[in-house]
Amino acid sequence: MTELNVRKTQDEALDRIREQLFKLGNLAQDAIRKAVWALEKQDETLSREVLDGDDVLDELASSIEEGCLLYTARYQPVAQDLRTISAINRMAIDLERIGDLGVSIAKITRFFFGKTLIKPLIDIPRMAGLVEEMIDGTLRAFLNRDVEEAKRVCAMDDMLDDLDRQIFNELLLLMIENPRVIEQATQLVLVSRALERAGDHTTNLAEKTIYMITGKQVKASEYRRKREE
Amino acid sequence: MSRMKFEISNLNLHYGNTRALKDVTIDLPGNSVTAFIGPSGCGKSTFLRCLNRMNDFIPRCRVEGRVLLDGTDIYAPGTDVITLRRRVGMVFQKPNPFPTSIFDNVAYGPRLHGTTDRESLERIVQQSLEGAALWDEVRDKLNTPALSLSGGQQQRLCIARAIAVQPEVLLMDEPTSALDPMSTARIEELVRELKTKYTVIIVTHNMQQAARISDLTAFFLLGEMVEAGPTQDIFTSPADRRTEDYITGRFG
Repeated sequence: MTELNVRKTQDEALDRIREQLFKLGNLAQDAIRKAVWALEKQDETLSREVLDGDDVLDELASSIEEGCLLYTARYQPVAQDLRTISAINRMAIDLERIGDLGVSIAKITRFFFGKTLIKPLIDIPRMAGLVEEMIDGTLRAFLNRDVEEAKRVCAMDDMLDDLDRQIFNELLLLMIENPRVIEQATQLVLVSRALERAGDHTTNLAEKTIYMITGKQVKASEYRRKREE
Repeated sequence: MSRMKFEISNLNLHYGNTRALKDVTIDLPGNSVTAFIGPSGCGKSTFLRCLNRMNDFIPRCRVEGRVLLDGTDIYAPGTDVITLRRRVGMVFQKPNPFPTSIFDNVAYGPRLHGTTDRESLERIVQQSLEGAALWDEVRDKLNTPALSLSGGQQQRLCIARAIAVQPEVLLMDEPTSALDPMSTARIEELVRELKTKYTVIIVTHNMQQAARISDLTAFFLLGEMVEAGPTQDIFTSPADRRTEDYITGRFG
């Protein structure tokens, strides 16, 4: 006789919600990647895809929230289960926001269509790549219950902040030299800022992941470079 | 939470050759609710009964270790067990009112301890029934049989009977397991109020109940006390793997 798994239904329910979270993570990554590609390649179709894709992302986020509520009502989770469901609930919000930031960037790209870029884009795609990597890292940390990986994600946010600052300074110089680039340059500053914000949301994801694994509320800043500000 | 009401150290209990409690050491703070949880047969009820020496009634039951109530060992020779059980009252899983009137049920203890004048008894009965949140429902029928009350009311009557002798500690052995959700909610609310005056120690199979009403939770397994701590900690991040597995329903 096989042993009765009394938690089968409950575990399956949690697995389903977890899968949805991963899907949401991938969609958020797509939104950021495609939006920045659209900007780089001045690709209107890609930009449209990001804008249209936002509804799917929002619906999935709502479905996760609903799933978390239902799971809580049905199983009254405690301990690890409770922390997991609470982490998922919070992470879905941050991932949905990252998706929104992708939409913001996609909207900005429309301004650039048919125009010559004031400078080749190097750091902005790098930032987008970092955000994508950070989301990847968090989801991996979440899946493998890997605290160290989550801490690394927190530390990566320093690079994003540096790039954002660097881009801002660079664009500021361009604007001072040539006021005619102000329009484009301000839009690019907004893109850079959106990516920096996406990084902040990603560190939230990492914080929640650490909480889920260890039961300890942490601040991402604990794992980041100490700076004097 | 205030200072420790009970200080228990290295408590061992044997039923014949079976060791039912293994080196249990725990302090229970006064004016608080402590919940004992654990699977059937883990020793939590046995441990509860050690606290007012109810196990004395069980043949071949042997207790070793120290149980201090306000600093005094209740297993010391010469302990007045009757006084002990007045100080440490008990409410059981199944409501067990005496087959007498509601009034006589509550007045039983005080009478036994020497209160005889009608006026005092009436005052104690009213106060106790009020304390057990039953007064409003029975004030007009104090002379009707206690067994005519509903299960939830009977259980509150038993609580009234227990507090009528002004105990310091109330031991509750699964007091709501035979009750419907509404009666359960009333008893839980009552427990929260009782802790302002008494130290409440409750055994429960209902994990959510422990999470809802207790300040401190202790988890028992196979006669061992595996983990004890603030309820919040036990139910959000227990330290011991076995506690985690039990409260999340992985075994037990």
